Amino acid sequence: MSPTRPLILLPPSGKRQVTVMDFIYAQKLEEALDALRSQAGRAKVLAGGTDLMIQIARGEKQPQALIFIGQLKDDLATISLSQDGYLNIGALVTHRQICADRHIQANYPALATASASVGGWQTQSVGTLAGNICNASPAADTIPPLLVHEAVVTVQSAARGLRDVLLEHFITGRRQIAIENDEMVVGITLAPPPADTADAYLKVGRRKAMEVAIAGLAMRLTMAGPETVGELRVATCATGPVSRRASEVEALFSGQKLTNELVTQGASLLGRMIQPIDDTRASAEYRKLVIPKLFRGAVLECLAKLGIAISGLEKS
Amino acid sequence: MPEVIGRSVPRADGPGKVTGQTLYTADIEHKGMLHAAILRSPVPAGKIVRLNVDKARQMPGVKAVVTAADVPNVRAGWALFDTPMFARDEVLFEGEPIAAVAATTLAQSRAAVAAIELEIQEIPPVGDIDMALAAGARLIHPKLAQYGSVPGIVFNREGNVACKYAYEEPGVDEAFARADRIIEDTYDFGRQYQGYLEPKGTVVQYRDGRYTVQSGHQYVFNLRDRLAQFLQIKPSDVRVQGMAIGGGFGGKLDFGPEPYAAVLAKATGKPVKLIFSREEDLLAATVREGARVRVRSALDKDGNIIGREFFTDHDNGAYSGELILMAGLALMFCRGVYRTGPIRTQFRLIYTNTSPTGAYRGVSGVPMISAIECHMDHIARELGVDPRAYRLAHTLNNNEKLPNGQMLHDAAILMEAYAEIEKIAPWEEMKRTKKPLEGVAIGSTVWLTNPLPASATVKLNEDGSAHVLSGTCDIGTGAMAQGVVGIVAQTLGLDPANVHVVQPDTDVAAYDGGSQGSRTTRAVGRAAEHAAIEVRQKVLDAAAPLMQTEAARLTLSGGKIHDIEDPGKAIGLTDILMMGAFASGPIVGTGKHAEQPIPFDPGCAAGLAFPTLPTPTYHVHMAKVAVCPMTGNVEVKRYIVAQEVGKALNPQGISGQIQGGVAQGIGYALHEGLRVKDGRYMERSLEAYRLPLAVDIPEVEAIILEHPADEGPFGAKGTAEPPIVLAPAVIHNAIYDAIGVPLNSIPLTPENILEALERRKSA
Amino acid sequence: MKINLKVNGILEEVEVDASAVLLDVLRDKLHLTGTKEGCREGECGACTVLIDGQPVDSCLYSAAAAANAEIETVEGISANGLSAIQKAMVEEGGIQCGFCTPGIVMTLTALLRQNADPTPQDVAVALNGNICRCTGYSRIVSATLKAAKNAMAQKAGDAHA
Repeated sequence: MSPTRPLILLPPSGKRQVTVMDFIYAQKLEEALDALRSQAGRAKVLAGGTDLMIQIARGEKQPQALIFIGQLKDDLATISLSQDGYLNIGALVTHRQICADRHIQANYPALATASASVGGWQTQSVGTLAGNICNASPAADTIPPLLVHEAVVTVQSAARGLRDVLLEHFITGRRQIAIENDEMVVGITLAPPPADTADAYLKVGRRKAMEVAIAGLAMRLTMAGPETVGELRVATCATGPVSRRASEVEALFSGQKLTNELVTQGASLLGRMIQPIDDTRASAEYRKLVIPKLFRGAVLECLAKLGIAISGLEKS
Repeated sequence: MPEVIGRSVPRADGPGKVTGQTLYTADIEHKGMLHAAILRSPVPAGKIVRLNVDKARQMPGVKAVVTAADVPNVRAGWALFDTPMFARDEVLFEGEPIAAVAATTLAQSRAAVAAIELEIQEIPPVGDIDMALAAGARLIHPKLAQYGSVPGIVFNREGNVACKYAYEEPGVDEAFARADRIIEDTYDFGRQYQGYLEPKGTVVQYRDGRYTVQSGHQYVFNLRDRLAQFLQIKPSDVRVQGMAIGGGFGGKLDFGPEPYAAVLAKATGKPVKLIFSREEDLLAATVREGARVRVRSALDKDGNIIGREFFTDHDNGAYSGELILMAGLALMFCRGVYRTGPIRTQFRLIYTNTSPTGAYRGVSGVPMISAIECHMDHIARELGVDPRAYRLAHTLNNNEKLPNGQMLHDAAILMEAYAEIEKIAPWEEMKRTKKPLEGVAIGSTVWLTNPLPASATVKLNEDGSAHVLSGTCDIGTGAMAQGVVGIVAQTLGLDPANVHVVQPDTDVAAYDGGSQGSRTTRAVGRAAEHAAIEVRQKVLDAAAPLMQTEAARLTLSGGKIHDIEDPGKAIGLTDILMMGAFASGPIVGTGKHAEQPIPFDPGCAAGLAFPTLPTPTYHVHMAKVAVCPMTGNVEVKRYIVAQEVGKALNPQGISGQIQGGVAQGIGYALHEGLRVKDGRYMERSLEAYRLPLAVDIPEVEAIILEHPADEGPFGAKGTAEPPIVLAPAVIHNAIYDAIGVPLNSIPLTPENILEALERRKSA
Repeated sequence: MKINLKVNGILEEVEVDASAVLLDVLRDKLHLTGTKEGCREGECGACTVLIDGQPVDSCLYSAAAAANAEIETVEGISANGLSAIQKAMVEEGGIQCGFCTPGIVMTLTALLRQNADPTPQDVAVALNGNICRCTGYSRIVSATLKAAKNAMAQKAGDAHA
């Protein structure tokens, strides 16, 4: 019955004290960038605010200014397709817009599925794809599909203009992104998928919605022949501090005949590669168990979308 | 005038709720109102070494800071007086109140809470019932024997056991000795948070030496009495005014923020509002208790149960509430609704250094009945017989007894319930059409109605409308807004739109047992019916001289008084009220209801708070589930309830109770987990504690069976509580059927299920 | 800071903190208490309001960001008597304790404006961000389908008239 910690001071119950000083309405992109430069790291960019406002309320983030970019819809709330088929998603594009976009539904359905599973309609109404990336949660739903499509993030600053960075390099750690104090994300670009390609996003949660992913897996499968893989890409979330592509697994499949054995091999390698933790949502053990099953499920879903049936491929 | 009883009349409070006009506690504002916040213990167990509020008192906007030093040094409680208002020298659970602050704004009071200097010497918590029962366990309440208790209720307490009840019939050991086989199961049940959408809150004023408390509360008289205990004042010096209540489910039956706001209101002389944050509400909620149930059955060679042991241990948390009164449920439910031989049973309520537990829809019965129903499936599987057929072969019939000696005169209603479900979901077809990893299950039970007394007053207004005054609220079930309104409207021949229910008020209404345990429609309804009958008689008496006839010849319907023998002769109700009231005085009726004891053999049930089941009701539930092999998630594909309700006063309201209760039961079985680790909750928000969503719940099919009860209003029995009771076990058993591996806990997580599937694969 | 909020068509000037969320401004400054606080973490949806026609959790939405937007609360959609969904919720018994009801009414108002003929699954998915602890949701879903049917019938009737 020995005392453990001698002194315990209690944080305030419920709502925390907050001290946000300024609220800056950016009327033009340039104003937002100028404000970012002049605030020199003291400001946060506010779009939908579904993550940021609660982080401020909890005292987890204490910016001295909020730069509100919600009035830049003409510039940033658009989904546009270039002549060579590249898709640009502006920084203010919401999850709701992603879900409803026909081009995304047809070419990157895994992204639409992921956006549709971020919170409820209320979150999807104002929460943005760019915000989901910048929050860089290890459990962010949209990151795995963007990784398998090799998304490029465009950031801009008043001083240095535009800069493109692969999403894989943009997210550097748990809730850490490669962005300078004076920069903001202005868009995300996806290359057109090659022919004979399908994708999938599978997510594990205890309910059917409103879940922070217990584990998530995105796959992009390109077939080179009736049973031959051209390229398989896979990325997971909530399986480690950062969502990553599993390149060793991908390498197993490149140019190979897709067999039940190969899928089993890939699934179990992926299960060994991930480094999940125990948290309140699930144990590491469960995540290690479920990820290989999601891998197999994603292969089957991609094949189903491609209309390919491969004999001997077991369901589980 | 169409009949009101038996028709789905929309609820009287619907328009107010759907437009947001209904006033809940958090919506109240008074002039000069202050906002309060509570400092709570950050650790589950420890000694308070230092508590200094001087700095907090100097903070901007702060009007008062109170601690144990500012309130009477007493312990209060529902049955056992073990609960202090503020921790004084020691803290017994994480979240225990230590100090409270009132300030001009909420932000100021919270800042002041943060400025209180608190030093606690932490003690390793007695974190669960195993630790509490271990030899040499630290005593959470060393002075337990000295605590006061409510007179008239006998219970044993010792060590870390707040309440123990044991009973044994002769022949148990002999039955086990001659058994052909013995089947034993131990089931672990987690805690469940009521998850009402409205966090607890109150506004308290202190004027003229009295406290006026405004709270959305299920049981205003209990709250009044608890405040009187804590503050050492007369109960009549507290006035509790019930507000519209945003859900309760048993969680708002005892005190919450009210004593703290009361002390602050007196200290400041200002109205004080105290609303819990969601995290605080969860931390301090009296959730459904965790429990461990061990059930062991001796079977003869034909599979008959010839003896049973049923030991049930429940986690009381650090202080006691209503659960002490539930010891008798072990006696009533240890047999289920099936024939067994002699039984040996024991109930224990065990202190731990965790947040106190309490009533949640199906109070304490949910783990007990779940254990019986899971055990029945296990027995059937061991015997290689169909679980439904096994149940049917052993279900109690009319005039068979429960272990408490109570006769179930009408238990054959269970067979009717099975038969009704069979009509829409034939069992063999349900089994035959299962796909891999789909499962079906069926189960049955009896349930009781809370027996507390009720009162009601019906006041007829000069415009021909009526007000109903009582001490209970409509918690959302429609028991007042549909049930009591319907009863009074029918009795007085009024349009239900002209019957108004007044919120409960301890200054206005006579004592009432509150909105709990399915009692409102039955008990308050009966009281209101009596009151309305008195009103009707007074109307007819007043009309008789005006109509120059005798009251016995008159009837009241459609807002008119008719002469039975002269149908053309009628006079308007409002005319009577205008003219008659002048002569006879305003027309008011009062009524009451108290449960009459049921004839039974009290030998084994002596000393129990609830020795019998008032108005037993009968229930059969069936579920079909599908297990996802990839994730271990469970989808409920179909859920059917056949429930006996006495008389369905409002079928829509009843099916709403069935659908809502089952949804909470499915949530408990699958989605909701409130785990305790080292005395602390692991789930501390509605993100982590997952309440089921629309996409998670199937459309529950409700079959309503009517067997009007003589003593209920228009034959009605209690209906709202029981739909939750069977759902966890039926879902559990359907998963068992789907995967073929027994899982002896509730809730079942995808982790449990996927791991079981792996075990099955490797076996 | 002073901001102008357009709530239910009326422009209101309010003094707010830059970190204030819309829920607090609606309830405490504008006394629009129909919008409820259930969790303050975007999980329960009791605080749902419409911003430019889209349901949003007002507990997580910056009040300052809502300036220049069209904000609708339950008081606004009740201004001319019960709307089709409100009427259907009352009639179908989609209400019990009523605390989640204003938020659910707002979400379903948005749904019915965008989808005049929703399926039960459409309704359930639309309600992902709204928790109801009392009803088990079935009667809320049936109320929505009824409101849609009534609105379509009325429209057809109007077209014939």
